[in-house]
Amino acid sequence: MISIKNLKAGIEDNLILKGINLEVKAGEVHAIMGPNGSGKSTLACVIAGKEDYQVQEGTIDFEGEDLLELSPEERAHIGVFLSFQYPVEIPGISVSNFIKTSINERRKAKELDPIPAPELLKMMREKMELLNIKKGYLSRNMNEGFSGGEKKRNEIFQMAMLEPKLAILDETDSGLDIDTLRIVANGVNKIKTKDNAIIVITHYQRLLDYIVPDFVHVLHNGRIIKSGSKELAHELEEKGYDWITKEADKKWA
Amino acid sequence: MGLIENIKSFSIIENLSAEKNGLFQSFLANGFPTIKQEDWKYTSLKKIVANDFSVEGNGVTVSEEDIKKYSLGLQHKIVFCGGNLISKPSIDGVSISAFSEFESQNKDAISVLNSSLAKKGFTIKIAKNTVVENPIEILFFTSTKQDNFVQYRNNIDVGENSQIKFVERIQNLSDSKCFVNHFTQINIRKNAKVEYNKIQDNNENAILIDNMNLYQQQDSSVIVNTLIFGGAFTRNNLNFEQNGSNCDSNMNGISILDNNQFADNHTFMDHKQPHCRSNEMYKGIYLGDSKGVFNGKIMVRPDAQKIDAFQSNNNLLLSENATIDSKPQLEIYADDVKCSHGCTIGQLDDDALFYMRSRGIREKEAKAVLTYAFASEAVNNFTIAEVKKLAQKRIAEKLHVDLDFNL
Repeated sequence: MISIKNLKAGIEDNLILKGINLEVKAGEVHAIMGPNGSGKSTLACVIAGKEDYQVQEGTIDFEGEDLLELSPEERAHIGVFLSFQYPVEIPGISVSNFIKTSINERRKAKELDPIPAPELLKMMREKMELLNIKKGYLSRNMNEGFSGGEKKRNEIFQMAMLEPKLAILDETDSGLDIDTLRIVANGVNKIKTKDNAIIVITHYQRLLDYIVPDFVHVLHNGRIIKSGSKELAHELEEKGYDWITKEADKKWA
Repeated sequence: MGLIENIKSFSIIENLSAEKNGLFQSFLANGFPTIKQEDWKYTSLKKIVANDFSVEGNGVTVSEEDIKKYSLGLQHKIVFCGGNLISKPSIDGVSISAFSEFESQNKDAISVLNSSLAKKGFTIKIAKNTVVENPIEILFFTSTKQDNFVQYRNNIDVGENSQIKFVERIQNLSDSKCFVNHFTQINIRKNAKVEYNKIQDNNENAILIDNMNLYQQQDSSVIVNTLIFGGAFTRNNLNFEQNGSNCDSNMNGISILDNNQFADNHTFMDHKQPHCRSNEMYKGIYLGDSKGVFNGKIMVRPDAQKIDAFQSNNNLLLSENATIDSKPQLEIYADDVKCSHGCTIGQLDDDALFYMRSRGIREKEAKAVLTYAFASEAVNNFTIAEVKKLAQKRIAEKLHVDLDFNL
């Protein structure tokens, strides 16, 4: 589905990603772990198309399309979704209006008519149930005054509504209590099919108990220094990152 | 010839009474205000008054289509054509007629000019205990071949315990310049409720100076909504005076300007009595080479204890060349009051923009949604659905997007 080759990117002269190679196929869940400052969120932002980052080398192919040539909205239209680590508050726009606009903008790009209101409402109700979201929530302003848990739940609600092919969950577990974590993870699992893929970015093994990855990658200093199965996450939880990062630092010194 | 000369010639034909002539001479003594005056510091009339406007020109016809085009389609309509009242609704307890003389306290040159020469406009009297459910639309049409200067002078008296809503629009139908000096005075008696909506969406040849005085008696409640979308030049002087306790005064403003449009909102909130409230919210969106001015003054007199006054002016500059001058003024002579004001000038938030684009909302549309979100706090205060809808439609049009902001 997505194939990242030798991706080098950064902000101005500061190179953050120093040659990322990653291949994710439909139906797979990949976890990207790593210490603070290793480049995890940068990778997420570069895939989503944040213009603050400049790509210096490498390619990202998404189902045959050169992703780096597309605007953030075009990437969303072909099925890329980023669940933000820090979702943005937008006072003045209700959750329902925001989601309606997102869906209709994507439909417009595909030359489809706006979604009929009853269909939209039915879909919203179903997805809200999935994530244990109460009714009054739809008329609240986008993320305004939301608790950390509500913001993350709102991200996954949008993911459920937009039905992306590739979802990148950037530290979706941060700031969540264990009950909310379970609800959010269960929601993600229900959205998961054999046709879509998920990249989970996290510091901790905890989330991976609920969203079970097929592959775990360790990102350090802008490179993937180790890949393995879900057992690797357990190993990291026990031993920390030092044992692999030291080895890698020697190699790239 | 300039406007002053033409007004002088007009005044001679008019054969003014001694009193009116006195007023007119006091206008002539200083003429139109200039940027040397504090209240007109950012607002220059120099180029405007240099035009060779005819004064109170005639020759207007208005078609049913025009009325339909510029009306919100409300049930009750008062229509003026070239200053003549051509149609009015019949509503129990409401008397509507053409201009009749009344005095005003305003000392500024523009108001004095209006009181000395204006003879067109409306007089509306609402008997006490009259609740008018459906809002009344007031449409003023102008259309002369020459550039033209016109003055309207309107008076509304709202009786005790009565309730009424108005939506006003001044529309120039011709390609010539039209300069309107509009003066409206409203007396709001005990426990009456009034809402006045100004739809300022005239064509690019329109110049407007709108002065409104609102005199409130105890327990009364007033909302004035000012929506500026059109016109080349707009100056609003909105003056509230609370003459009884427990009054509510509310002002909501939304301006979205582009090209070379200019709009200046001058408000004066005069708290003279205790236990009153005022709430003022003006939102300005500036595109192209447009220019905005906001000057909001809150005066709290010594007797106005326990009042609660709030003012905000938020501005969004969406182009390099757009400018805004904003000046909040507080003058407080009472010691037990709650008074606050805030003014912001900013641009759209890049993080919010990326967030929306990552959800598939195209850049132009994302900017429009954020811009609408900025304005929505004021738009949501519009109680008449048709007014709210018009605001949403015009904001989308001015941002060149096909989006429905309403859900």
